[in-house]
Amino acid sequence: MIASLSSEWLKIRTTRTIYWLLFALAALVTLLVVSSILAGHKVDLVGADKQLNLIGIGILAPVIALMMGLIVSTGEFRHGTITPTLLTTPSRPLVVVSKGIAAILLGVALVAFAEALVIGEMAALLPLRGIDFALQGGDAARLLVRILAASAIWAGIGSALGLAFRNQIGTFVGCFAWLFIAEGLVQAILASRWIDSHAGRFLPLSSTLSIFNDGKNNADSHMLGQWAGVAVLSGWMLLATILALVLLQRRDVS
Amino acid sequence: MIAVEDLRKRYGKTLAVDGLSFTVEPGRVVGFLGPNGAGKTTTLRILLGLVRANSGQATILGQRYNELERPFCQVGAVLEASGFHPGRKARNHLRVVAQAGHVPKKRVDEVLEIVGLEGAAKKRVGAYSLGMRQRLALAAALLGDPGVLILDEPANGLDPEGIRWLRDLLRSLAAEGRAVLISSHVLAEVEQTVDEVVIINKGRFVAHGSVESLTRSVEGRVRVCSPQAAKLEKQLTKAGLTVKTDGYALLVAGGSSEQVGEIAAKSQLVLHELTPVTTQLEDVFFALTSGEQK
Repeated sequence: MIASLSSEWLKIRTTRTIYWLLFALAALVTLLVVSSILAGHKVDLVGADKQLNLIGIGILAPVIALMMGLIVSTGEFRHGTITPTLLTTPSRPLVVVSKGIAAILLGVALVAFAEALVIGEMAALLPLRGIDFALQGGDAARLLVRILAASAIWAGIGSALGLAFRNQIGTFVGCFAWLFIAEGLVQAILASRWIDSHAGRFLPLSSTLSIFNDGKNNADSHMLGQWAGVAVLSGWMLLATILALVLLQRRDVS
Repeated sequence: MIAVEDLRKRYGKTLAVDGLSFTVEPGRVVGFLGPNGAGKTTTLRILLGLVRANSGQATILGQRYNELERPFCQVGAVLEASGFHPGRKARNHLRVVAQAGHVPKKRVDEVLEIVGLEGAAKKRVGAYSLGMRQRLALAAALLGDPGVLILDEPANGLDPEGIRWLRDLLRSLAAEGRAVLISSHVLAEVEQTVDEVVIINKGRFVAHGSVESLTRSVEGRVRVCSPQAAKLEKQLTKAGLTVKTDGYALLVAGGSSEQVGEIAAKSQLVLHELTPVTTQLEDVFFALTSGEQK
């Protein structure tokens, strides 16, 4: 297990993809933070509550983590490296688990880096507008933990879906179509007056949003609680992992 | 060491491997020959646990690949020259494989030297030629210092010098007591390398034996050229010999060059050439597979 996991981690470290993604992530985060601080209304930046919203930029983190997971797994099929992987590690369940853990570690590391950058940039830029940096422990730490938890789970989901469906572009398109189009439609249908169900809150994106919901502005009382959101999203990861295990186990690698 | 027994694999309506059986003993280099689509790669992938057979058995050292303890250190394989991330440096590719295969890091530099890539180890694989990729694939196969080597078309992309290098390497590995199974559809390239050959066609076993025994089993031919080729062909056929036209020349089977010369002399026909054609592995291969190709 350790040999397989360290090999997966070495794979990640030895291509340029990860470094390009780090660069792109740093650029995106910097753009968002700088524009929010320098172009935003001062009143929206004063106080810990308002500054927490900037950390909330990290709500993009699960999407980034999902991409990481997908790249880690589908890259194996895209470049044909799945063959040497299975020759050195013939146990396919072990490959699924090792890749999942490596993707989770990568997703968490990238998101932690992005959040550290956000906080560093806030601490440096807010005083330029005469605003005190007000974030201290407590709420900020709790939000960061929730962002990291959601990111870790989405990285695992991405890795499992990548192993299950193999095609890089197809899996990317499918995942983003679900997140940005299909889930909203399913939710709307479930909540329509013909069905009138709140089952939509158990869907992946909804359960993720519930992890970030601090309850202070809870307009939607049907949302899951934070820990329930973590549990439900973990359930989706488990389901994706089982799917990957079943499909990879049955599939010929030719 | 390698045993394939009544192996069958079906892809949809296509029977890729049909009741195939053969064995490979230690210290032997065995050519696994067949035309494209004969089922060679499928058989090798079944041996390596990458493809599941519908029935039959494919074992190495008495066990299925997946059941071997640390299989990577017992069996080395070259399956394709495309199992690399183009953005990863060659040395890093080998480090990744070594790490997963429980092989010490220092072995990476050793195999790079064996395959002659030590000078290009820090280049990204995307910048490698096909021949260099083949060498890198072979380096990965040798990482675990395995007793069994399974190589699918390893000479693809190698230049003549590379082919000679591969031949010498495989011979030296077999001399150390390793079993080497090497598939190819380029017969000339394995003829000088292998001790014996397994020939398959359309997924079915055709022949297994040493190159000498198989070439002996196929009748020799005589190449004869004459300005009166049509008349000569008629006389040869009349004498019960089989004649095929090969442009200006006739290829005669079923008789010696002396017989052909005597028939031509009796008929007062002029000959420009009369040459016995040495039977090569290629002739054996086509003779044995021609019936099935039709």
